[in-house]
Amino acid sequence: MNYFRYQEYLEVYGLSRKLFAGYVLVSLGMLLAAAGGSWDITNHLLNKPETFFAPPHAVLYSGVASAVVGTVLVFSGSRSGDGATGKMIWPVKLVIAGVVMLISAAPVDFGWHSAFGLDGLLSPPHFVLVSGMIIGSAGALAGFAQSAKRLPSVLIVIAILPIWLGASGMIDMFSLPFSESEYFNFNPHPTLGVAVATLAFPFLISACLIGSSVLAGKRFGVLSMAGGAFIIIGVLTSIIPNSALTPTIPFYISSIIPIVAADVLLAFSRSRFSLYAAGTIVSLAFFMLYYPLITYTYNEVFESKVVWPSMIAQIYFEMIQNVFPLVAIPTAAMGILGALLIDRLARNKKYYNNIQELA
Amino acid sequence: MLKAIILIVAVAVALGVYFSLSLYVFPQLYQSIEARRPQAIVTDVSLSAPDIALGQALTISVTGTNNGDDADMQIVSVGFPNLTTTDNIKILKHNFDQTPMLIAPPGELSSSGYSDTDSSVLAQYTSIEVFSRPWEAGKTYSADIEVIPKTEGRFVVFIKSVALPHTWEQAHYPQDGTLDQQKEFVETYSVEVTKP
Repeated sequence: MNYFRYQEYLEVYGLSRKLFAGYVLVSLGMLLAAAGGSWDITNHLLNKPETFFAPPHAVLYSGVASAVVGTVLVFSGSRSGDGATGKMIWPVKLVIAGVVMLISAAPVDFGWHSAFGLDGLLSPPHFVLVSGMIIGSAGALAGFAQSAKRLPSVLIVIAILPIWLGASGMIDMFSLPFSESEYFNFNPHPTLGVAVATLAFPFLISACLIGSSVLAGKRFGVLSMAGGAFIIIGVLTSIIPNSALTPTIPFYISSIIPIVAADVLLAFSRSRFSLYAAGTIVSLAFFMLYYPLITYTYNEVFESKVVWPSMIAQIYFEMIQNVFPLVAIPTAAMGILGALLIDRLARNKKYYNNIQELA
Repeated sequence: MLKAIILIVAVAVALGVYFSLSLYVFPQLYQSIEARRPQAIVTDVSLSAPDIALGQALTISVTGTNNGDDADMQIVSVGFPNLTTTDNIKILKHNFDQTPMLIAPPGELSSSGYSDTDSSVLAQYTSIEVFSRPWEAGKTYSADIEVIPKTEGRFVVFIKSVALPHTWEQAHYPQDGTLDQQKEFVETYSVEVTKP
């Protein structure tokens, strides 16, 4: 009985057990690490007592441990030859490269702290760390995507989220004014920070959400699940830890509306226009989805106030009516670009699969 | 065709509701919520002696509390208008959450006039800022500071406390009195420094 189940398992995923488990552990690990990182940023903003044994660090390092175990399994599975090894080579390489970067960032970060004391959000070791997260997560997603025509919904969400969160962290590094330390000032110019956030976040949201839908064959629910999971992580790591922001949870959760609307659009209409419309719709929610941290980026240009943690909501809601009309057009354009990218990748994958089948 | 129209209308209505909520309803709702009102108070100040001989140390004990809502940060500042260096100042003990900061000319003080925008000023004399970030409602912190005056005569000590964000008048202590280098009110204490 178990034997037959095992066969079905292989057929569904097209991967050996080791490779499959490895990719899942890498994705989950990167997801935990990214969520822990986001929680850690919030705690730093709140100046909560910082020790190595702080809960966000526990989440972050559990994630790193999971990613390391996953990489060992991926490496061993790829060498055993019982998976679709011909196709696996570059996703495996990406996973290994990402996790090596993730691990190697730790001693470099320790050295950086020893030499320069307190650091900011953007520092060379942090850049390597977040790059590792993105590369490793992209490797795991590519591993899943190459091995099956249609992936289970939960697996898509688990594979997409760490890329989304990791890339968000990278954009945060180049847009938030959190990178001035005693020795270095890596803060972006306020206008540049706003430009980076306005262009990069909508593109990322569109690419990740439309990508999740396309990976699921545009069946309803997956895009909403991915968006919902992003919102839940935001609530848990950026809003609840700051008690002054808890009344704003209904506002933050309401961003599920455009996400579900885009999901409905893609599920019930297969036209290319719907794809671009869905990209536009989800991207227009970027200023709400990246609340509360985005307040710091736009405050630099629009308000120039001191953003105390208890005043984030006040400053954000003072700005929103001024900021949104100004950023709506570039935001929509970047949303369409994100959808275009996914459309192009999906066509390439389809073409590649057809060639494989013919061969 | 009908299916497409229903789909477009449903999506349009959903988006209309969403943007109305996000851009009008929620902003009005949240902006009507009153900001937290921390109340900064210096509850106790004591100097070790009313007069000291030149070369002797003076110990200043200061205790501050927050009688209002939680503050993101509250500072108790001890200023020495007769001093421009920090080499003769020591923090004997304190229970504040963060490490105290010694600021001497030409150092920068991060704010002035209780402003909520960046309004830094250059220090004209030495001061110590002891602070907790956050400073929760009802919490009390204290510090003992030792200073050795460098000249004879009247040695002045300025004391104040400011809770941040500065959302109302009671967020600073005292409410009136002498204005210091940051154009903020201070209580003035002094000792007579005599020849040894």
